[in-house]
Amino acid sequence: MKFDALLAAAIPLNAQSVFEEFYGETYLEWLTNSLLVATIVVGIILGFARAATRHLELVPHGTQNLFEALFHGIYEMMEGIVGKHMIARTFGLLASLFIYILVSNWFGLLPGVGSIGWGQERPGAFLSYEHVEFPLLRPATADLNTTLGMATVFMLLWVYWTISEMGVGGTIKHIFGVKGGLKGFMAIALAPIFFFVGIIEVISIAFRPVSLSLRLFGNVFAGENLLSTMITLGNDLGLPKWVAYLSSVVVPIPFYFLELLVGLLQALVFVLLCAVYIQLSTTHDEEEAHH
Amino acid sequence: MYPILAAAVEAAGGITGSFTLGIAGAGAAIGIGLIGARAVEAVGRNPGAFGRVLTLAIIGMALAEAIAIYALIRAFAGA
Repeated sequence: MKFDALLAAAIPLNAQSVFEEFYGETYLEWLTNSLLVATIVVGIILGFARAATRHLELVPHGTQNLFEALFHGIYEMMEGIVGKHMIARTFGLLASLFIYILVSNWFGLLPGVGSIGWGQERPGAFLSYEHVEFPLLRPATADLNTTLGMATVFMLLWVYWTISEMGVGGTIKHIFGVKGGLKGFMAIALAPIFFFVGIIEVISIAFRPVSLSLRLFGNVFAGENLLSTMITLGNDLGLPKWVAYLSSVVVPIPFYFLELLVGLLQALVFVLLCAVYIQLSTTHDEEEAHH
Repeated sequence: MYPILAAAVEAAGGITGSFTLGIAGAGAAIGIGLIGARAVEAVGRNPGAFGRVLTLAIIGMALAEAIAIYALIRAFAGA
């Protein structure tokens, strides 16, 4: 249809492998441009962590101070949700997820990402493309595989934590059991209804990794598209050359700030939802009383 | 696509974009607006609880926004 062409994103939905372009036949096909950025991001985080913990002092300042403030903030927030008992076990996953997603979202906003790559040659101009179809670097989270991978890892650990915390029987009782402290005849009468409630509960649990991964992927992908549309707004509207160039610099500035916020927010939301899901399934009944 | 809409597009020659994304976006926007309004109200009533209200508001808005994101991905990837 006509308007599908308009919707065909300037940026391809899935990450393309980097080396396919050179050799024709598949060579290191799994190394996609998002994966390339993912390894760079992990390198940045490790380098930063090494720098922070090179010479630890009792009174931290500089990078170590920043790192400690960051971790303390995340710890406080997660403890408020997951509860004192579970925080020790779950903090590792939650903090690393938050930092990885945040750094990869913000790394995706740097000028080089998405604009260096292969595309249709611009006639006459040397090494400058009309439009980059196949960027060398793409944000790590702008690829469904990364986000689905993270969501699956979380769900596996969630199952492990729930079973180890509540026991298999406890978990089944927690999902399918009669809720609301009903006793005696009423409990038996309503048991089948609560059974179906349990089935719906299982469906919503199964849907969680899908919604977690699609949410993060969709936001980062939409942000990437938003920025690229804003940058190319000038010559799309057919403005004179120098106006188009000026607008390609000035117009995206507010959207870069929006993307900074969205990057932080999506990282925070991903981890908050993970913490809430853990809290929902691992609090024992008596613990809810003094929350 | 829906025949009526296609006919309208030919006639007007101007309607572009994804129909589903429009509705999902509107729904999510209303949802997020409501959550925002209630959150501000709650903080107005009890400024001390700003932190917890903010966390809950962010979670609520994220869940509402996810619906628009499903439509967005369907619009970009699907029909």
